[in-house]
Amino acid sequence: MSGKRLAVVFVGALLLASCRGGDGAAPQEGAGGVKVDAGVTSEACPNAVDKSKGCIYLGTISDLTEGPFKTLAVPITDSQKAFWKRVNDKGGIGGYEVDVTKYVKDNKYNPQIHNQVYQEIKGNVLALTQTLGSPTTAAILPDLESTQMVSVPASWTSLWGFEEVVLESGANYCVESMNTVDYAVDKMGVKSVMAVHLAGDYGDDAAAGAKIAAEKRGLTFESVTTQTGQDNQGGAIDAVVSKKPDLVVLTTGPTDAAVIIGQAAARGYKGKFIGTSPTWNPGLLKSPAAPAIKALYLQSAPWKAWNTESVGHTAMRAALPGVTPNDGYTAGWVWAYPLKAALEKAVQNKDLTRAGVLAAARQLTSVDYEGMLPSGAGNFSASPQEGTFRQSLIYRPDDAAPTGVSLVEEFFTGPTAKDFKFEKPCYQ
Amino acid sequence: MDEFLQSLIRGLGNGSIYSLLALGFVIIYKSTQVISFAQPAFMLAGAVLVSYLAPAVSFFGAVLVAAVVIAVLALGVERTVLRPMVGKPVFVVAIITIGVDVVVRVVTNAFIGLDVRQVGDPWGLDTISFLGAEVQQRYLVMIATTAVVTAALFLFFRYSRIGLAMRAVAYDQEVALAQGISVGSVFALSWALAGGLAALAGVFVATGAGVDQQLWIVALKALPAIILGGLESLGGAVVGGLAVGVVESLFGTYQGDFAPWLGPNFGLVAPYALMLLVLLVRPYGLFGKREVERL
Repeated sequence: MSGKRLAVVFVGALLLASCRGGDGAAPQEGAGGVKVDAGVTSEACPNAVDKSKGCIYLGTISDLTEGPFKTLAVPITDSQKAFWKRVNDKGGIGGYEVDVTKYVKDNKYNPQIHNQVYQEIKGNVLALTQTLGSPTTAAILPDLESTQMVSVPASWTSLWGFEEVVLESGANYCVESMNTVDYAVDKMGVKSVMAVHLAGDYGDDAAAGAKIAAEKRGLTFESVTTQTGQDNQGGAIDAVVSKKPDLVVLTTGPTDAAVIIGQAAARGYKGKFIGTSPTWNPGLLKSPAAPAIKALYLQSAPWKAWNTESVGHTAMRAALPGVTPNDGYTAGWVWAYPLKAALEKAVQNKDLTRAGVLAAARQLTSVDYEGMLPSGAGNFSASPQEGTFRQSLIYRPDDAAPTGVSLVEEFFTGPTAKDFKFEKPCYQ
Repeated sequence: MDEFLQSLIRGLGNGSIYSLLALGFVIIYKSTQVISFAQPAFMLAGAVLVSYLAPAVSFFGAVLVAAVVIAVLALGVERTVLRPMVGKPVFVVAIITIGVDVVVRVVTNAFIGLDVRQVGDPWGLDTISFLGAEVQQRYLVMIATTAVVTAALFLFFRYSRIGLAMRAVAYDQEVALAQGISVGSVFALSWALAGGLAALAGVFVATGAGVDQQLWIVALKALPAIILGGLESLGGAVVGGLAVGVVESLFGTYQGDFAPWLGPNFGLVAPYALMLLVLLVRPYGLFGKREVERL
């Protein structure tokens, strides 16, 4: 065969191979009569505890190297590895163990890269145990829907409550901010609110929640958009100092927040700041802004911090010996519970195909978070109005606490979140 | 008046950081005709290094050591990664510097860990009365340091043998080579100088809230500064950096009162608007060299 013909045959073979596609595997019968398709093998997982069991592969797409959320993304990912290892140690799910180590990809917090790496792994995984970021996940949402790929977000936008394939946990940014404003009205008597937030659905969702609550409680409200970067906070600081709101709801990154709080306080601002959970980092307690942060700052949270005593928290700490405490670990661990529940339900239904897992997830009326969230959380069978979890907590900076915060207010639902009708994502 | 003075000092303080970065860009550009996009990474690496060294050797010792170490690192990068590219199109070399930036940043990020790191500077957010206004000490330190560094650089380029050699190379590489000047050494030294300056700038940025992996973004502010001042002018870099800082700060403070219709955060765009205005009048920047091309 001449070189040219060989090349034609080779290209033809490549084309055929690429047309085959990765994710359209036909359903087969797996262990224990369970129906399986993509991402489930009868061979054992790499590093299996029990080599006789099959393997469920779950994908992770996270911000692991140079993106802005790496300091949260790495502990989230490590925590989920520990979570699923514990599941495997306890006997796995049906006749299967779960692998979350083979298909771990870095999105650099870039929607395009997120989509690209998703395409690389989607044929090999049953579901995603982590898809980090709101704009990044939005980039693959249509594909997730069409392939019925159940996915666990690592973000809290209110959009997720409206997406069938997304298994979110805890209060979304919108609810968290509603509760923040209600808390500040009831406990501090604030009359004016300013939302200082990043653009995009992280900041916009929180600002929308703060606005809804401010309107309901009859407060004056102002929204200030800012950008990441310590040198880019001048506009926000000037707005806070000149308008002097009683409460500033912060939805930024940690150092942005420290610059805003530190500089605003240095320029005479005496109101209160309450930040959503990604705004916090324990390292801020050693920053020059620490005195201002301790005096003026509180933090809202969707669930309790690292050092809490609950079955789930204790198991998490035991599974992650020797790590520096960080609530990224807590987040990763909590987020994994609904997917575990969905997989168990799917095995019970004898259908571990993608469609089967999605159907199982939508049958869940509650998820056992082992005490990390109150009972009743994780209702994925109800409408967004019924199913949206509306409780959050308030923490304050504390040098003595392992993650730098200690509890001020237990799980609560403010009047705004309680009455709010979830008919669409807050920021739309 | 107090507010104006505070805003001005804040602007000059931040502008000093941009100036230090811009000086690095210009020094490399003058000798190699390449814009080095590795400056942000060296800035981050410098700040992280200080955060590790400060507890052991004091803040000032750490700054000194970090500036030298980052200078040596930059020199090493030039010798190993960029030297083989001498003579290749400058565009290609500039793209390689982006690669260097990513590599150095990813490695540095691994040293940042999960928590925001602190450089342990003695000023914090403490203020001092300056001409009747309360201004932050760290801004005055930044302005003074930049003034000293700039003066030292000017003396170096004017009177030292190697400084003169660097100017000769900037003027005409081939002629300089023919005069016995080691162009390679000049390239390496310019990278080292730029690395040291970037490290110093990084430490100053970190005095506000600490070091996280997003610190590098600040370095991008040096770009309007060098275009504004003129790519080939050290004086232009300093003036451009200070102008960017001051314009940003004054717009941030006053634009909301005087021109709210420009929208929030116009202060962040203002340096770029100023850059465009300057370029309309002086296409080579305020102090740039007017290129004459024969057709």
